[in-house]
Amino acid sequence: MRIACPFCGARDSGEFTYLGDASPKRPAAPLDGGAAVEEQFYDYVYLRDNVAGFTREYWYHGGGCRSWLIAERSTTTHEFKSVAAAPGAGAAKTAQAGER
Amino acid sequence: MPDFLWNSQSPLEKAVIAGRHGAGKGTPGVSLSHVGDIALVQVMARRGRNADVAKAAKKLFGTETPAMLKVANGKSATLIWSGPDQFLAFSQQPRSAPSLEQMEEAFAGTASLSNQSDGRCLIRISGPSANDALAKLTSLDLHDSVFPVGAAATTSIDHTAVNFWREADDAGANPAYAMLVFTSFADTLWHLIVDSSLEYGVEVAAIGAGH
Repeated sequence: MRIACPFCGARDSGEFTYLGDASPKRPAAPLDGGAAVEEQFYDYVYLRDNVAGFTREYWYHGGGCRSWLIAERSTTTHEFKSVAAAPGAGAAKTAQAGER
Repeated sequence: MPDFLWNSQSPLEKAVIAGRHGAGKGTPGVSLSHVGDIALVQVMARRGRNADVAKAAKKLFGTETPAMLKVANGKSATLIWSGPDQFLAFSQQPRSAPSLEQMEEAFAGTASLSNQSDGRCLIRISGPSANDALAKLTSLDLHDSVFPVGAAATTSIDHTAVNFWREADDAGANPAYAMLVFTSFADTLWHLIVDSSLEYGVEVAAIGAGH
């Protein structure tokens, strides 16, 4: 299987490490916000969808340019629809790493 | 009198056995060499300072920073792309390359530097069968149309991180490649390359006798 790194081009999947679901967004709430916020954080940290189809997920190109990437991959066919740099990858972008 | 002295020595001091190895006579299929004394600095642009780094590099090395997957040949160093907004400044003449102090001054506030002169080991491979030998080790496509002279890649060879680039063809118009590997992995990788090259006949140069 090959993964098309946006920086390095198509590379063997052995150069990459899978991290996990890239879709959860950190709740924009203070940590001590009470039970409702706790529920949001519980969801953010622990609950994941088990999708049959395309998912957004983090991959790390550790065997290459060491960039964090976000890929859209089908869990049923392993087809990669897109691979893009995660926010903050590379110094040219001024954004901090991590999901907004 | 001390009975030993602290001498720096190449990590391939014992591994490099100069001469002809493996199959056949006549032109060797693969030529291998290792140059011990190099100057190498990793340069990583700080957030949003990429343009300033390019400007400073132009002033210091006489060349723009390398484009993605490319090498830039400067007057005093070769700049090898090693990832988004980062490159390696490499020179085989440590005395004539800019010193780390000069680089620190040139990139002050715009890039983070890390001296890798003793951290990485340079291995060169060339010859008519170099591509065949490398095909056993790397998943990179080294065809002329994909990986021409001046192309660079960061990849894994035998699970070891390698900075890999293509240099000017050798005297016999055969492809020539250079790779930088961590010194602690150099020995095992060297043996792997030699073993992969034996069937084509391999000529190993003495340390420091590289081109």
